[in-house]
Amino acid sequence: MTGKESGKEEKAYRPLKTQDLLQQVLFRYVLEGNAASEEGHLAWVTSGFPVEIPVAMGITATYPEQYGAVIGSQKVGPALCGFAEELGYSQELCSYARSSIGSTRKPEESPLNGLPKPQALLACNNICGTVLRWYDAISQMTGAPVFLLDTPPIEGEQQPHHLAYVHRGIARLVEFLSNTFGASLEEKRLREVAANSTKAIGLWTKSLEACKNRPSPLNCADRFMTMAPIVSMRGAEHIIEFYQALYDEVRERVSQGIGAIRNEKVRLLWDNIPPWFSIFKFFNGLAKRGVVFPADTYTHAWSGSIEGEDLFDSAATIYSNVYLNKGLQAKVDKMVELIKDYDLDGFIMFSVRSCKRYSLGQLVSKELVTRETGVPGVVIEGDMVDSRLFNEAQIQTRIDALLEMFE
Amino acid sequence: MIDSQGNVLGSHLVPTGASGAVAARRCLEELSRKSGVDATGVSTTSTGYGRSLIDFAEKSVTEITCHSIGVHNLNANIRLLIDVGGQDSKVIRIGENGRPTDFEINDKCSAGTGRFLEVMARVLEVSIDELGPLALQSDSPCSISSTCTVFAESEVVGRIGAGESSKDIAAGVHAAMASKISTLSKRVGVVTPVCVTGGVALNPAFRHYLSKQIGAELWMPDNPQLTGALGAALLSLEL
Repeated sequence: MTGKESGKEEKAYRPLKTQDLLQQVLFRYVLEGNAASEEGHLAWVTSGFPVEIPVAMGITATYPEQYGAVIGSQKVGPALCGFAEELGYSQELCSYARSSIGSTRKPEESPLNGLPKPQALLACNNICGTVLRWYDAISQMTGAPVFLLDTPPIEGEQQPHHLAYVHRGIARLVEFLSNTFGASLEEKRLREVAANSTKAIGLWTKSLEACKNRPSPLNCADRFMTMAPIVSMRGAEHIIEFYQALYDEVRERVSQGIGAIRNEKVRLLWDNIPPWFSIFKFFNGLAKRGVVFPADTYTHAWSGSIEGEDLFDSAATIYSNVYLNKGLQAKVDKMVELIKDYDLDGFIMFSVRSCKRYSLGQLVSKELVTRETGVPGVVIEGDMVDSRLFNEAQIQTRIDALLEMFE
Repeated sequence: MIDSQGNVLGSHLVPTGASGAVAARRCLEELSRKSGVDATGVSTTSTGYGRSLIDFAEKSVTEITCHSIGVHNLNANIRLLIDVGGQDSKVIRIGENGRPTDFEINDKCSAGTGRFLEVMARVLEVSIDELGPLALQSDSPCSISSTCTVFAESEVVGRIGAGESSKDIAAGVHAAMASKISTLSKRVGVVTPVCVTGGVALNPAFRHYLSKQIGAELWMPDNPQLTGALGAALLSLEL
């Protein structure tokens, strides 16, 4: 539909048709979570957890980090973080953790009346160490037991003893889930769930890679929205249909030369979680100035398939080697690779006050990435959920100055 | 305000106050009065915080780019610019074409800005203009360890209570501030010759300690508070 037909001025940003399907998928996720909680088989799970294992055992997963994004986008982050701060939690603590603790304390004041009550809490520290203490706090409030899958950080290549250690952790996870839920793991079922994950991730990766085209068919906010099923419903069969629909739409855009934004002039890389409370305003505001983000380090984090002879080994390898569990050099290499492959003009690194694991080292990486690629970058500071830490005027100046370098 | 050849016709400085737009209009009127040239209607570029609120400006450009272009116009050899103002401090790497190629801003901590010196001058009961010369009289600066303006103020009060002289305290205050700016500069990379601008550049003690800490001579333009405005005016020529 053109701007004239709609009777409004054309927006700089083109919404995805797949958005409607996404709403349906997410609605189903909420309903399934509520039902599972009532039936006694709901686990809260961190975003980088090998969720294929509990899913194959008939356990439903729900994701507090994703709920943190909901809290942020509904602009209730400061209020819910405040409820945790009243309990004595520091403002320095991750705002996903604070808002989660706050919403568990006061579900009646939280979006969707809070996350459904869990029967188990499954934390994997491949994304950060805070998750364990966060889940411990939730455990105290809900009585649900915590399981930690420990994946020590990797510097360089993963060592055999490291792999064996994580492998043992996965075996213990199965024991924990059997004891907690009376469930058992069948290899055949795990292979089916893993195959569903692989298919969805495969389609997702193709959509991401299509952004190498000019104009880019997807912008940052598109990817942060459509990654939701990959984060929270990996292993489910019905999300494959969603990722097929998304990929079809992306392919159609590419074949017709339609970009995610109308007038693509500058192509940038985004690093880190987005400011959820301002995600559309932020990226669409830049879209009006011709700035598109064909790639980011976050939505590229899910890749690889659990397959082969030993499925636990495969899961241990994939989930240990996630972006945030590797050293600074691996992060720099990834950024350099994305800038080159996606033909980007520069990069914006969001230093997220909450997420120390993601943000630590950004000043050094910025220098190294510029040295290796020759493109300029800028670090802006704020938070993903706690909008009290987001100073718009200061961020504007830094981004404007970066964009002026391209004039 | 400049002519089409880039010659400066006049300048005027007013505090922004509660309304940037009102201050800018007042500045324009004063500029017309002082220069004898009607400044209303000339091509104008706005810069700095609140730049987008100046309704009569055709273009708004960040102070990062404006300072860079302004300094380049005055001295094309400069590759590193350190600008220390009342609200923030920035270090800008200037490319050969006068455009910034990299920058860092301290806009989180007032201990790296002119406000730090204003607060300390008040505690020491001297004017801001007297603070620098007072510090230069010291040959034994006392150490100010606090990294926050508010707590540094308590520390200075403590030093006064301990009987330390005003000149040694003033010197310590400048050294502490220069140390912050020096760290920021080293992050961008110190490339000589280095230029220093902003209101704080007028303070000789700050220049002395900064030069010492970054290990480089500093070049300062005649009007270090106006290089951003000069850059903005030069950009208006392109309109």
